[in-house]
Amino acid sequence: MKAIVAERLTKIYSGEKKALDNASFELSQGEVFGFLGPNGAGKTTAVKLLNGMISPSEGSCHVFGIDPSSSPEKVHAISGVVTEHAQMYGNLTGQENLVFYGTLFGIPKEESLKRALALLERLDLTVAKDKKLTTYSTGMRQRLSLARAMIHTPKILFLDEPTSGLDPESAQSVNNMIKELASDKGTTVFLCTHQLRYAQEVCSSYGLIDDGTLLAVGSLDALRCRIFSGLKVHIKSNRFPEGISFRKTEGQWAEINVQTEDEIPPIVKRIVDAGGNVYEVMANRLSLEEIYFSLIEKRKEQKEVR
Amino acid sequence: MNTMQSALIKKDLRGITANKQLLVAMISVPIVLTVVVPSIFIMLIHFMPNDFSDFDAMLRMLPIDIQLDNMNTAIISLLLNNIMPVFFIIIPIMAASIMAASSFVGEKEKRTLETLLYCPLSLKQIFRAKILSSFIMSELVSILSFTIMTLVTQIEIFLTTGSLLLPNISWLVVLLLLSPAVSLIAITLIVRGSARAQTMEESQQRSALLVLPVIFLVAGQFMGIILINIWILLGLGALLALIAWILMNGSFQKISYESMLR
Repeated sequence: MKAIVAERLTKIYSGEKKALDNASFELSQGEVFGFLGPNGAGKTTAVKLLNGMISPSEGSCHVFGIDPSSSPEKVHAISGVVTEHAQMYGNLTGQENLVFYGTLFGIPKEESLKRALALLERLDLTVAKDKKLTTYSTGMRQRLSLARAMIHTPKILFLDEPTSGLDPESAQSVNNMIKELASDKGTTVFLCTHQLRYAQEVCSSYGLIDDGTLLAVGSLDALRCRIFSGLKVHIKSNRFPEGISFRKTEGQWAEINVQTEDEIPPIVKRIVDAGGNVYEVMANRLSLEEIYFSLIEKRKEQKEVR
Repeated sequence: MNTMQSALIKKDLRGITANKQLLVAMISVPIVLTVVVPSIFIMLIHFMPNDFSDFDAMLRMLPIDIQLDNMNTAIISLLLNNIMPVFFIIIPIMAASIMAASSFVGEKEKRTLETLLYCPLSLKQIFRAKILSSFIMSELVSILSFTIMTLVTQIEIFLTTGSLLLPNISWLVVLLLLSPAVSLIAITLIVRGSARAQTMEESQQRSALLVLPVIFLVAGQFMGIILINIWILLGLGALLALIAWILMNGSFQKISYESMLR
């Protein structure tokens, strides 16, 4: 069974423009799906639609076969949600908060406590477990929210900007945890973020969104194929022979696109044969960031043509 | 009521008892109304027994069956059985308003409502649990106030007159029917307003606006109703309970996640 199926999902907030426009995508179980786009692109709207907090204006969606707009509580039972707006109680301690949310998901108190302690340790919050939430830093709150979302071992996690406000070390540990959850427990993760580099580290597939419109969906390789599937080679040399289409960048650096790695040695050889010294060679595939900006550029061009 | 809902109710009740500011507000007003006010009155009657002409005139207007032989006892009985019940209409409204505002709009204000909505309880179940926690709190405050009031006034009456003057049957109707019905109406009005209110203060002010006319209309005429007949009191209680039920079901029909998170 697919974890998420969205078909022509559209949301229009009372007469305003479309917050989500005709978005169709599918997620398999155990996938870490990066839903990427700038602020206001429609990411949070998608999370709310998939959890039944709002109903679609057009189209439909299903989470593990359940329609969230007709049975939201059934979706909530199998999902964990972390969003900026979903806070916890300041007058309770970290541990009390987790135990409360555990019991709210129908887990007996003793079991909730056991799980809470394990999660607090995993997220490096054991020292602060008996402190009131009001004393927590932004990063600690964010980590506690993650623990809260995982207390009932959900089949799917919706994480809306989970690493915002986290220091690099905490962000790294959260990333590792997300990867572990997906690989070891088969948890599906729907991760919304505008931090594209961070997403590339964690996600196995992507949906790129801008202004409510889904630009592309697929694995990194599939997305690359839409723009340029080859390699970008950067060469530092004191001489570049003519006849090869180098693009001079800065200083002694030049750039050339190739389809496969095999094309690189002949290029280097030609430079050396022409009397040039090669100091450095770097070959990179298109990053998620580059793909995203190319797609946005393409969309702009299409709009202008229209 | 399942264990998830009772967890929510316990959390709400704990939330209010942990908030000293709200707790003091919720307890101090009923204590002043039900203990301090009648105590002053009883003491006044005891220590200034000379000029009763105004009271005398008032007592003569009362139905014959409640006119007692002893002037002091008659006045205390009037106070205890006819004036004090009015406060037990005001107290549940106040307690329910504070509790409901904190439990609905307070959650919205502190951004904990959204987290709550992501739990596997349906919106109706969440609402029922929250209405129930406000109701329990308002009933607790009412019953506690009644118990303390009865204890203190009975001791005072015994010390000043040498005998007890127990509350009459109309109290039973007030405490078991009228006061719960009125507190349910107050809670429902707050809940209806909670979709629009953004802060707890705003919600409490809104509820005060809604509740004030109730106090003037109901409380002003209430004393007379108690005097007339227990059956009329019972009828009024049943009518208010019916209104509470209709209002509550009406608000269940209207709620949606979207309206709550606006």
